[in-house]
Amino acid sequence: MNRAIRRVGIGIVALVLILVAQLTYLTIVDANNLKHNPHNVRALLTNVNRPRGDIVTADGTIVAQSRKVSDGTVFKYLRQYPTKDLFAQTVGYQSFVFGGTGVENTYNNALLGRENQLNLNNIPDIFSGKQTTGTVVLSLRADAQRLAQSALGTQRGSVVLLDVKTGAALAMYSNPSFDPNPFVVHNNQFAQAAFTAVQQNPDHPALPRSYRERYPPGSSFKTVTASVALEDAVATPDSTFPVRTQLALPQSTNTLKNFGGESCGGTLVVSFTVSCNTTFGQLGLQLGDQFVPGMAKFGIGQAPPIDLSPGAVTSLGPAAGSFRNSQPQFALAGIGQGAVAVTPLQMALVAEGIANGGVIMQPHVASEIRDANDKLIRRIDPSPWMTATTPQVAQAVTQMMIQVVNSGTGTAAQIPGVTVAGKTGTAQTAPNQAPHAWFVAFAPAEAPRFAVAVIVEHGGNANQEATGGRVAAPIAAQMLKLALGVK
Amino acid sequence: MSDAPAANRRGAELGLGLLAVIVAAFGYLLVQLAQKPDVPPDLWVIFGAVLALFVAAHLAVRRLAPDANQVLLPIAALLNGLGFVTVARLDSNLGRIQAAWTAVSVLAFVLTLVGVRRIRTLERYRYSFLFLGMVALLLPLAPGIGKTINGARLWVGVGPVNFQPGEAAKVFLVLFFAAYLVDKRELLASGSRRIGRMMLPEPKHLGPLLLAWGVSILIMVRETDLGQAMLIFALCGVMLYVATERAAYTVVTVVLFLTAAGIAYQLFGHVQTRVQTWIDPFKYANDKGYQLVQSLFGFAAGGFAGTGLGLGSPKQIPNVATDFVFSAIGEELGLLGCVAVLVALLLFIGSGYQIAVRSERPFPKLFATGLTTIIGLQSFVIIGGVTRVIPLTGVTLPFISYGGSSLLANWVILALLLRISDDNVQGTLARRSRRTARAP
Repeated sequence: MNRAIRRVGIGIVALVLILVAQLTYLTIVDANNLKHNPHNVRALLTNVNRPRGDIVTADGTIVAQSRKVSDGTVFKYLRQYPTKDLFAQTVGYQSFVFGGTGVENTYNNALLGRENQLNLNNIPDIFSGKQTTGTVVLSLRADAQRLAQSALGTQRGSVVLLDVKTGAALAMYSNPSFDPNPFVVHNNQFAQAAFTAVQQNPDHPALPRSYRERYPPGSSFKTVTASVALEDAVATPDSTFPVRTQLALPQSTNTLKNFGGESCGGTLVVSFTVSCNTTFGQLGLQLGDQFVPGMAKFGIGQAPPIDLSPGAVTSLGPAAGSFRNSQPQFALAGIGQGAVAVTPLQMALVAEGIANGGVIMQPHVASEIRDANDKLIRRIDPSPWMTATTPQVAQAVTQMMIQVVNSGTGTAAQIPGVTVAGKTGTAQTAPNQAPHAWFVAFAPAEAPRFAVAVIVEHGGNANQEATGGRVAAPIAAQMLKLALGVK
Repeated sequence: MSDAPAANRRGAELGLGLLAVIVAAFGYLLVQLAQKPDVPPDLWVIFGAVLALFVAAHLAVRRLAPDANQVLLPIAALLNGLGFVTVARLDSNLGRIQAAWTAVSVLAFVLTLVGVRRIRTLERYRYSFLFLGMVALLLPLAPGIGKTINGARLWVGVGPVNFQPGEAAKVFLVLFFAAYLVDKRELLASGSRRIGRMMLPEPKHLGPLLLAWGVSILIMVRETDLGQAMLIFALCGVMLYVATERAAYTVVTVVLFLTAAGIAYQLFGHVQTRVQTWIDPFKYANDKGYQLVQSLFGFAAGGFAGTGLGLGSPKQIPNVATDFVFSAIGEELGLLGCVAVLVALLLFIGSGYQIAVRSERPFPKLFATGLTTIIGLQSFVIIGGVTRVIPLTGVTLPFISYGGSSLLANWVILALLLRISDDNVQGTLARRSRRTARAP
């Protein structure tokens, strides 16, 4: 019988080996599939009931925090947003029902303390089972956000203020906004009603216009046209252009008119300073198919890799290689109309690139991750995103932008004692609607530190009277003053 | 190992057992720490109780079976301790009940050692045990005391205590099979009828196998207990094979089993459900496959090292403390913990078969084989079920699952194995001393 007993024993060992194989498959090989199976609520439940760190602005205001509650629901923590609508479109919210958006989503792991394990000091916490959290420190500033909010007032629009050297955003605000607090309450019906109300609001307060809405940039885009023309040697600052009131468009009976039907032209510098449409329409035609790759170097056609989720939308220009069949589009692109549609973030990045000697830095809204004891876990380091143009071209465009603020369309952006470089834009929209008022700028022009883009939709309070110089430039100046600490 | 002096063996048993006690106490501490960062006030009570139970069992072995195998008791203590920690973590009320049942089981363990001083005494009462086994299996069907819990009619309720007599029935049936097969194994092995190339014995000698087949089907039909039926049937097949050493019986067993399974699949909805959810659990993830799917998610959540005791969400799995206790271990202790449990079970099973091999008389040999096979097959059936290796059937994981009847039966099995082991050495010693006496 012993031989048979040994065989039975071997049989049991074989069965156990099958079990070990299957266990390895479940816990290691197939684990990720199982974890992401739509029926699996384990991850969600554990995330929801783990303590979650704070989100704090660069100037120390708490934007998001978790409070321990026992309200009879399965949830142990309530997320709170003390700044209400001020950061809703960038910091976002974390809801069990609607998921996460913005910084709450991008830095989810950091907030849950999952990055803390990299830090040796936290090893005792891991063994004691104490749950650590992470704090996200924003580069955004509460004072800059508040200023943007009050400057826009009741007008719809966006303000994006960037650090030229690092790509860090100091302000990224758009009007109207919304209060995320009702979305995260533990009463699902209430949360759902609040969410639906915001979604159905015709003003789209949940839309982060600063990085997820595209507008025609109008003349503010002449910064890009001028850069591409200079770099491709289609023009020099001293090239002269005919003085005229309108430009005949090829392949069409339409013409491109100057603002207010005025007559303008002369050198590139003069044309830029007075924002002469005929000159830049002609440059668009002269550039032809070179224009599209030139724009691409500024990031048109590619979403800026900002640390927000959902991320920034891609800004658009004419299709590559389409010049032969749609030449008028290139004249319109020269003055930031037609197929050109950009986000306010993208225009701030254009200004930043010119200010930074042609290099556009990767934009970001967070600067550091810290642990619950305020110890630094990691920094979000600056890194270049695009090389838009050469330092020489950037310098030449800067000079033209200084002229705009000194003596051209952008004088409203002047700051006493500081040289500001800027460009206005007054972008046509639908025939019966007031134009969008734009201003892009940076300062100090000699050693740039901050870049800004402002848009006020459909002229805001000024309505049909609006121009970029009158409506948007003063807001840009206010933002730069705050950033530079100038009274 | 078996030739080591008895004192050394008991010393090893004590040392290994203390390790097992420490593992259980630390496990309990971790579970409590996961809830709040203080040392639980009842830690010393738990530690003391676990220690006292083990020491009581150890002293009983020292006194009543001094030459028995030294590994089985510490492994049982380890598995029982881990089971208690896991059950208490899942539900502190169930933990208290499990602790009480552990005490009762250790008592039963001691009583078995006291009551069964020679294993061959049992051989005489084979038909009494057959009768007891049958009664135990059929008792849940009796009106009045039989109870249906979770859709299976396995329970007998006496006052507040619910008992699963099927757990005891397995031991009785193994005892009967062992005694019966020892008698008939010559007849069964020789065979007198030729079917093709196979020699088969007279049908009348196949009685017990057919009886087991019939009882299994009855259990399957009336008590809707697939696991128990499968187990009894496989057990019978294994013992028949070991007794006769004829592979032909394995073939016959498998054929009978497949036939029964095929018929059951055709006839019973619950059998079809188990097979469907085995083939594609995710298709039924929200209804009949929910439990299995949640179990698989638990293993995935555990990964290699587990979430840590008390830090997972094993309560996502319904009935986790009984049938799915292994999934809870998988989630919180990971692949490492699972393999550790499997290794402990393998050591237990290996020791059991070793005891069988070392027995010189056929009855204890076959009896030990059967008892060990219960532990082995039952572990495979339930672990294979919760990991989707085989269709899920509800049996308990030996020593670990929540459930008093099962725990009690397992401790009685342990006592019987130790008794056989002690008999083996006693027999050897007796022969040796006779030889020495005869020597001039």
